[in-house]
Amino acid sequence: MTAPTAARRRIPALPFGAGRAELQEYALVGVVALLLIAGAILEPDTFLTSDNMLNVLRQASIVGVVAIGMTFVIATAGIDLSVGSMVAAAGVLGGQFADSGSLMFVLGAFAMGVLLGGVNAAAIAYGRVVPFIATLAMFTMARGLALWISDKTPVSIFNLDFVRWFGTGEIVGIPSAIFVFLGVTAIGWMLLNRTRYGRYVVAVGGNREAARIAGVKVQRIIFSVYVLSGICCAIAAILLCGRLSSASPVAGNLLELDAIAAVVIGGTALSGGRATIVGTFLGVLTFALIFNLLTIMNLAVEIQQVTKGVIILVAVLIQRKQN
Amino acid sequence: MMLTRFAVCVGVVLTLGLASCGGDDDGGGDSGTDTSTKTQTAQSSEGQGGTVKIAVSVPAADHGWLKAVSDDAKKAADDLGDQVEFTMNDSATSSAEQADQIETLINGKPDAIAILPFEGGALTPVAQKATAAGIPVINIDREFSTPGAYRTWIGGDNYGIGWQAGNYFADELKCQGNVVEIQGLAGISVTEDRSKGFADAIKQRCQDGIKVVARQPADFAPDKGLSVMENILEAQKQIDGVYTHDDDMAEGVVAAIENAGREGDMFLTGAGGSKAAMDQIEAGGLYRATFLYNPTMAASAVNLANLIARGEPMKDLTEPEVPSRIQVPATTVTKENVADHKDLAY
Repeated sequence: MTAPTAARRRIPALPFGAGRAELQEYALVGVVALLLIAGAILEPDTFLTSDNMLNVLRQASIVGVVAIGMTFVIATAGIDLSVGSMVAAAGVLGGQFADSGSLMFVLGAFAMGVLLGGVNAAAIAYGRVVPFIATLAMFTMARGLALWISDKTPVSIFNLDFVRWFGTGEIVGIPSAIFVFLGVTAIGWMLLNRTRYGRYVVAVGGNREAARIAGVKVQRIIFSVYVLSGICCAIAAILLCGRLSSASPVAGNLLELDAIAAVVIGGTALSGGRATIVGTFLGVLTFALIFNLLTIMNLAVEIQQVTKGVIILVAVLIQRKQN
Repeated sequence: MMLTRFAVCVGVVLTLGLASCGGDDDGGGDSGTDTSTKTQTAQSSEGQGGTVKIAVSVPAADHGWLKAVSDDAKKAADDLGDQVEFTMNDSATSSAEQADQIETLINGKPDAIAILPFEGGALTPVAQKATAAGIPVINIDREFSTPGAYRTWIGGDNYGIGWQAGNYFADELKCQGNVVEIQGLAGISVTEDRSKGFADAIKQRCQDGIKVVARQPADFAPDKGLSVMENILEAQKQIDGVYTHDDDMAEGVVAAIENAGREGDMFLTGAGGSKAAMDQIEAGGLYRATFLYNPTMAASAVNLANLIARGEPMKDLTEPEVPSRIQVPATTVTKENVADHKDLAY
């Protein structure tokens, strides 16, 4: 990536037009295809049905929405370990307004997502706290808040039809959660690839000093991606609570690991400077397919965990080769 | 400069070491201190009027059952009032953290300590340490790996839950059908016992009539229960019953079944005895039964700690000492008897 001189004050074109991240994406498409074929052979009657495929996509929506936000965070060479706890906290706070209707629930969830994401953002962008530490602190804080606000009991949202529609409703036979996921993915893709904001995000991750010299408001960019992550968590919380018909304070446990894994195997570099939304989408899909297939095969959970770990390792090794 | 820093560090370490030695009963061979502590213990175990110091350590509540444990223990201590000086630690999120907390509690020299360990095996050494220091340990639920580590164990009957559930399924399904088992946390003895009890019961009653077509863990979390059950519903077109290991987790499983519109095809059982479960059992429908694993055992543990610290017996027993094993029964709660158990629900 060429560093611009101060005089030019232009951000260079995105660095992966040359096809680096594209190889990763093609490799993932191959993995997804392999999984579909393997599933079709191993479980012919149940895996490759439209019902099950919609089920997989619907399950992928929750971690998928979070992973889109995580892509932006990781693109700035940051990390957000608090997303799982933020999902729980957002759902629980929304649940406190459950008696006032669905709109209040949604607003409450968004408010919590923005608030918690904002605390992360302020600590990291302006407080100069290392992202790992700041979001690790939020990981416990948000979980504690979720348990505290809810008094450790799930909040029922059975009567909130609108919210439940997000979890269980359908449009032309396709679950609404999938539309939300696709919508968030599309917006994320456009933000990253078709706006100046997206270029700034990648520039900040790739070479912070150069970006700063080129005139990018680095602190504002860093602040924004963590708030974005918080917003994505709120959306995921609405989807999850809609599906569970309740806001559970213990939800989203270890969700951050799933989101980070999906982003990383998708081709976005943990060291920043290179990001792909399509890769994240495929990464989320890969893990959802694995979980689905191995559960349908009724394989022991240990095998699922080992498989997941091996895939992450292999994906990262492929990334290193490209570097 | 480096030498100065080094000297400061060494000085700090030495100071801390000497301070801890000074407070330690066993160290330094100070027999005077030893005797006086022993006399104090002897006095408090004889005294009916004195206050006993009781410490309780339970893991941080990440689900309803543990929260109820914590609440019930506190309530029992409140009910005992001035008789006990009560300290409770319920914030540990890992075995290592809990071990540290218990070490601190031991240093406070309680007359008895009740522990619900995060993992029985991992916390056995610190329990042994408490026992060696003369503090009787009351082990709640998850058992330590050696009897030498505790004075009394009180817990539920995990195998019994499985056994009762197996018999319930055998009766309801008339020994014919497909069953899905949703376990809790894979690898802990609670899960193994609940699975084994179930498997043994249906084997004995029905031989191979009832088939467990899917068995997956959901980590006691409702959202995991939701996604695991969604996938199993895709795989299994014929499900007659669902045996879950936990009421809280079962909420997610119930949501998955209802979202798929298949609640009419099967029934579901939980374990633990949560209020939400009992409400659904009373209302009738998908949720048919739960098997008690009452968190009130924590309240009983506090009362046991009080008795043991005073050297008093349990009232209606002949023996002058508190028993070393008390197993709380796993009662089957269905629509017929749910009214009797609702007030103890958590």
